[in-house]
Amino acid sequence: MKRIMTKATIYFLSLAIGGVLVFSSCNSGQKKQKSEEQQIVESVNVDGKLVDDFKKSKLIFYSLPSPLETAMLIKRAGATYNEELLNPLSNIDKYSTNRQMALNLGIYSADLSYTSLFDQTQSSIKYMANAKRLADGLGIMDAIDEETLKKLEANIDNRDVMLDIISETFMSSNAYLTENDRPAIAVMVLVGGWVEGLYLATRLTNGSVENNKRLIDRIVYQKLSLYTVINLLEEYQDNEDVQYLLDRISELNEIFEKVEISNTSKIEAETDAESRVTTIKAESEAVISPIVFEELMKKVEEIRTEFVS
Amino acid sequence: MRLSIILISLFLGVFNVNSQCINFAKSVGKDYLGEYIHDGNYNATILEEGEKAELYKTFFSGQNYRVAIAKVEQLPDIHFRILDKEGNVLFDNIKYDYRLVWDFKVESTQMLIVELNVLEKSTGADDLINGCVSVLFGLEPGKKKKK
Repeated sequence: MKRIMTKATIYFLSLAIGGVLVFSSCNSGQKKQKSEEQQIVESVNVDGKLVDDFKKSKLIFYSLPSPLETAMLIKRAGATYNEELLNPLSNIDKYSTNRQMALNLGIYSADLSYTSLFDQTQSSIKYMANAKRLADGLGIMDAIDEETLKKLEANIDNRDVMLDIISETFMSSNAYLTENDRPAIAVMVLVGGWVEGLYLATRLTNGSVENNKRLIDRIVYQKLSLYTVINLLEEYQDNEDVQYLLDRISELNEIFEKVEISNTSKIEAETDAESRVTTIKAESEAVISPIVFEELMKKVEEIRTEFVS
Repeated sequence: MRLSIILISLFLGVFNVNSQCINFAKSVGKDYLGEYIHDGNYNATILEEGEKAELYKTFFSGQNYRVAIAKVEQLPDIHFRILDKEGNVLFDNIKYDYRLVWDFKVESTQMLIVELNVLEKSTGADDLINGCVSVLFGLEPGKKKKK
């Protein structure tokens, strides 16, 4: 049954649907509605079916490589451990604004993942303590508590358990922020972690595209993740801090635009139903010149220095 | 006006339920990853019958992934597909009895789309079921272990 709404109903319905929209985009920090749904909000003629259609709209999430995944990729590329590259623990006293705390929570989480992957357990405990201080500063309740630190200390000989503790604290922080209406902060944490991963990877090449081709490959393919970073930031660009990050990340994007990635064969999949594994096959080529790589390294360092200062 | 009140109540109700998805993701979703290490990203939300979601993620070569989708029991099956950025279907769980846990490896790094569609089983619009759905990614640890 169709009905024409009164002005008051339009107002309240817009408020309610608008509320659901805000909720939806806040929910994970990685989710947004498509533009068709925006049109529904603007619609005047509304009936039950329209509300149902709205509720059945498609939700979009963007998932960035987490600090843990990036650290694993770095290690599996054969890179080494270099403590000098980490954000010094003593820098923590510099961070007082939400932006500084959020970015550096991501950065310390990435450093924590890197130290753990390379079995630097004492450093891991210290970096976890710093992450806890920043999480506390951001009002993230219970994501990292004293119990977490004790559990980490008790499992210094078991890397898989340590990694599990780290991943759980990262998920808890992210979930707390997104579910408590602070998705912009959650996005800043993710971006901080991603930039730190990129910083570690680029510095570990010692500035040469020839030294470690696998690591260079990891860096070059971050161009695909950059698409995710930009989409995430664009969702919350009304936030002043996010806008600042978007500007900085756009500078990075200009350099990544000079990197060429192309599939040189059709993408095909082969599934083994018994082992429940699907292998996705495609040949791909990525090209970065030494000049562009140097440019990229400098830009990453510049942005990261700004974040940790 | 009654419609407005219903919608606002619906919104507030959804919000309260949604804040429980973190507990669902931790207690149920993570278990499905088995021995794979959770990457730490949180992707969970309330979905309703007939609702669709897409998740964009870069899968890196040399890294084996487990995609573990978990749903509250009362929700119908979830149709889950993996597509490339051109929309070509690379995996479809309809062929595998709607299984929600599957492993993937890519021979070259690719941005892929994980697409979910909660199937519909209710007969009327008034009794649509909704509940938490989580999509977690696991990273294979150093040594390959049996699933």
